[in-house]
Amino acid sequence: MAASQKLMSVRRDWRERDVRVVLSALIIAVATVATIALFASQLQRTLVTSASSFLAADRQLESENGREIPEAWLEEASSRRIQTARMVEFSTMVYGADNFQLVSVKAVNDAYPLRGQVEIQEGADAPRQLVTSGPAPGEVWVNPRLLRLLELEVGDTLDVGNRQLNISGLLVREPDGGFRMSSLAPRVMMHSSDVASTEVIQEGSRVEYVYLFAGDEGALNNYYSWLQPQLEPSHEWEGVRDGETFSESLQRAERFLLLGGSLAVMLAAVAVAVASRQYAMSQRDTVALLKTLGVNSKGIGRLYLRRLGLWGLVGAIGGLLVALPLFWLLSSVLGDVLEQQVDMHLDPNALAPALLTALVSLFAFAYPPIRRLKNVPAMRVLRSQPGESGREAIPDMAIAIFAIFGLVWMYAREVSLVLALLGGLALLLGTLAMLGWVLVTTLRKISGGGNAWRLALVGLYRHRRASLSQIAVFAMTLMLAATLILVRTSLLDDWQAQLPDDAPNHFLINIAPDAVDGVEEFWAERGQPLRDLYPMVRGRLTELNGQPVKEAVTKEERVGALNRELNLTWMESLPDDNEIVSGQWFRPGDQRGVSIEAELAGKLGVEVGDELGFTIGSDKVTETVTSIRTVQWDSIKPNFYMAFPPGGGLDDMPATWITAFYLPRDQKSALNEFSRQFPTVSLLEVDHIIERIQEIVRQVTQAIEAILALILAAALVVMAAVVSATMQERQREGALLRTLGGRQSLLVRSTMLEFALLGFFAGILGVIAAEAAVWALQFRVFEGQFQWHWQAILPIPVISALVLALFGRWQLKPVLSVSPMLLLRRLE
Amino acid sequence: MSDLSEHHSQDLRPMLKVTDLSHRVSLETDTLTILQGVNLEINRGESVAIVGRSGSGKTTLLGLLAGLDTPTEGTVELDGAMISQLGEDERAQLRSRRVGFVFQSFQLLPALTALENVMLPLELSGSTGPEAKAKELLERVGLGERLYHTPRQLSGGEQQRVAIARAFASEPAVLFADEPTGNLDNRTGHDVSDLLMTLNREQGTTLVMVTHDERLAARCGRQFSIEAGVLTEPARSAEAETGAVN
Repeated sequence: MAASQKLMSVRRDWRERDVRVVLSALIIAVATVATIALFASQLQRTLVTSASSFLAADRQLESENGREIPEAWLEEASSRRIQTARMVEFSTMVYGADNFQLVSVKAVNDAYPLRGQVEIQEGADAPRQLVTSGPAPGEVWVNPRLLRLLELEVGDTLDVGNRQLNISGLLVREPDGGFRMSSLAPRVMMHSSDVASTEVIQEGSRVEYVYLFAGDEGALNNYYSWLQPQLEPSHEWEGVRDGETFSESLQRAERFLLLGGSLAVMLAAVAVAVASRQYAMSQRDTVALLKTLGVNSKGIGRLYLRRLGLWGLVGAIGGLLVALPLFWLLSSVLGDVLEQQVDMHLDPNALAPALLTALVSLFAFAYPPIRRLKNVPAMRVLRSQPGESGREAIPDMAIAIFAIFGLVWMYAREVSLVLALLGGLALLLGTLAMLGWVLVTTLRKISGGGNAWRLALVGLYRHRRASLSQIAVFAMTLMLAATLILVRTSLLDDWQAQLPDDAPNHFLINIAPDAVDGVEEFWAERGQPLRDLYPMVRGRLTELNGQPVKEAVTKEERVGALNRELNLTWMESLPDDNEIVSGQWFRPGDQRGVSIEAELAGKLGVEVGDELGFTIGSDKVTETVTSIRTVQWDSIKPNFYMAFPPGGGLDDMPATWITAFYLPRDQKSALNEFSRQFPTVSLLEVDHIIERIQEIVRQVTQAIEAILALILAAALVVMAAVVSATMQERQREGALLRTLGGRQSLLVRSTMLEFALLGFFAGILGVIAAEAAVWALQFRVFEGQFQWHWQAILPIPVISALVLALFGRWQLKPVLSVSPMLLLRRLE
Repeated sequence: MSDLSEHHSQDLRPMLKVTDLSHRVSLETDTLTILQGVNLEINRGESVAIVGRSGSGKTTLLGLLAGLDTPTEGTVELDGAMISQLGEDERAQLRSRRVGFVFQSFQLLPALTALENVMLPLELSGSTGPEAKAKELLERVGLGERLYHTPRQLSGGEQQRVAIARAFASEPAVLFADEPTGNLDNRTGHDVSDLLMTLNREQGTTLVMVTHDERLAARCGRQFSIEAGVLTEPARSAEAETGAVN
């Protein structure tokens, strides 16, 4: 190979340490971004699929007016390559053996479910199995409780209206077993073709037709745009995102993944920038020599540009080669967690950010210092010229920051995320400037000596420029890693708090006032005391400040809460997860006033001091709004729009009581006894929903841990890259010190101390900046409460000091094992 | 061919002609004069030593003569080209065709083998068969067995011999040497300077060397001394009597 070509061969470049660092950083950058993007897209698909299975589809259209929707709507969906399925839900009495029971029937067609699976058992002791269809015509699947109530078994027949249907399985879980107050009666699932022959549905029957849609996100959105103008108020279009259950947590998980991806981009960029600057420095002699040998500036520029292009290619290909196996690995771990086959999907869109990252990293971070190489004077071959003053680095930094935030924005599409990180970074650089000043003014006074501490401090001072820039990079790296750790911790804590292991998984509804004591006693005897019992009064909101509410609110049909009866309650103290946003909660002894849920208040334009009129049965109750509070709708607990004080406006109204409680799986048999003893109390079993949600939380947690591990690994590599950037100089110094008679132990101790100090300062800075970023993120992006993370503030600087001390020891190794003479020669 | 005829037509002109050359650098507070009023003419095939202590300005002068830098005042004419008035790129082109260098610190590219280091200028100037020629030169400097070693695997003397082979590879009209034995011990330094002188004679190259080594300087046809930026020709050797004008 010709020498001049070889000047540009990657293999030759690889022999140079700085190029190895640039290429490694680039490969890591592309690999991290590609892995995260691929995995995040995979996870997102899995999550959406999981979440979609709450609907058994991607979207649902409910018709609550007892009429089916026009057939043309479904045809239009099919023509847009959207899959459809239909079901009808109604309540009826069924008969089996000698008993009657009110049940809630769901009749489904062959296409059901479009997403998720139905879990059934062929007998009480048979294994659970997942199937992707409903029962065949002539068959029904029923809730196990119904069999207990009717004293039937699988294989018996059940009379539904005029039809006898064969009970062919136990319905353990339906994919759209959403949790609605109406589904109190035990469930019977049948085939929709049998519905007509039961003759249950008559004129005026309360029937709900539900249509399921699944397909491409874009197609669904376009379809909805087409459909929306034709919808009536009784039609309700529901998507995964606006379903109540857990959607907020899903969104937060998604944002976390994006944050992780963004931080990976920043880390990678930092590594590339540091290494390429170092590389450019080391190339100055070569450039001067090439110029002396007659290569002009343009030639030099071309040479290095082509070299960068080559690196980009190697970095992109190498990064993808690393990313793909990693992705397979993570995905199969995800599959194990989900206990289901995860279909691998290589999303080409997910690769684009990785390649773009490679390009931007090269041209925004690596190119500026390398571009300036062509300005290196030829005269440098004869006499070393003053290096870069550092002033040139300012525009580099401006370009870099601009590019980093461009990348993060491209990646996360979240302005507040970008601003939070930018704020953290600004704080970091500001503090760093102060630290630099302190370093220079205080350490200057220390003179060298035989003591490791003094030597370490002198070392810090002597390398102050390198030290400061290394602290900057370490602090930035730590800030990014710490941000991620802190956000992860608070995210997981939030979820844990929301869904503790003993989260209520059963509801008791319709408890008559005189049965309350008996019910409480029943469960107390079985070691499951009921905690919060709420009275519930059904009523409509009819007046707002003396005016009929439908006149007072112009877009009243948009406010679903006005179209149906609301559950009103009275309570003494504010539930833990509610929060007053305006006004004041009832004081002890208060008997007037009402507290309204914030979102509804917003839609109605209600403020504290407004007067609300309720119609309860034939009575009217008027109360002034005394507080507005937020409600955690995705908590599985009784939640109320309206709360009155005890002894207030609801006092004389007919109330029933509601409660939610936790019942371990092995005590479920107590439910049969309960049903017999309190036949009028309705029981809602949501344990399967809770399990499902907990499973999703586990998945997301695993994913978050995996991504965190990946990013921490990247952070370590960045640190290693930065340490190795000044390795040669430090090794030479070490060799000199040994030559001049420094003892090995002194050298080791002072170097480790110097690095530990470096790490400690960087750790403190990083944590402060991370706290700032987390504060902003919690505030804007994750909508959580900010608190100081004392448990992170102390360990992070200590850990970073330890890690860096070890890095320092590691880079000293050659200095200790080889004779100083050999080393000095080698470092010439 | 045209190159050759150009050579002949310029044969009678001096290889290097320096007129009223001064060089100053501005520092933060004032201006430092490094060279002042230098006049110098060097004929083809001559060997010239410029002797001076550290900081006397000799390296700056060498850089200006070779067109690595441009002077603040005055002109430098190299092989008929007014290099002090050429742009950076034109000077680079001139260097690749006419000029060779030997440095105190050898300046070999660490990632290239000995052979590749020698081939580099040949390839840059577009010569044919660079490899054969580079091998021949390395044989000539006694490194035929070390073609594929990288600079790190070579001793200082060997590295300087590679550098000399590289300097002569493109058959330069003029060779500039900056303290070529400065980093070598006496014995090795002597061997290296022998080699340099021999090749210089064989190829008829004009040699301009700066050094503080009086003995090495004495082996050149003419010696100049430089002090505080002023060039003088203290002892003119007989055979050069007619050549130089101060």
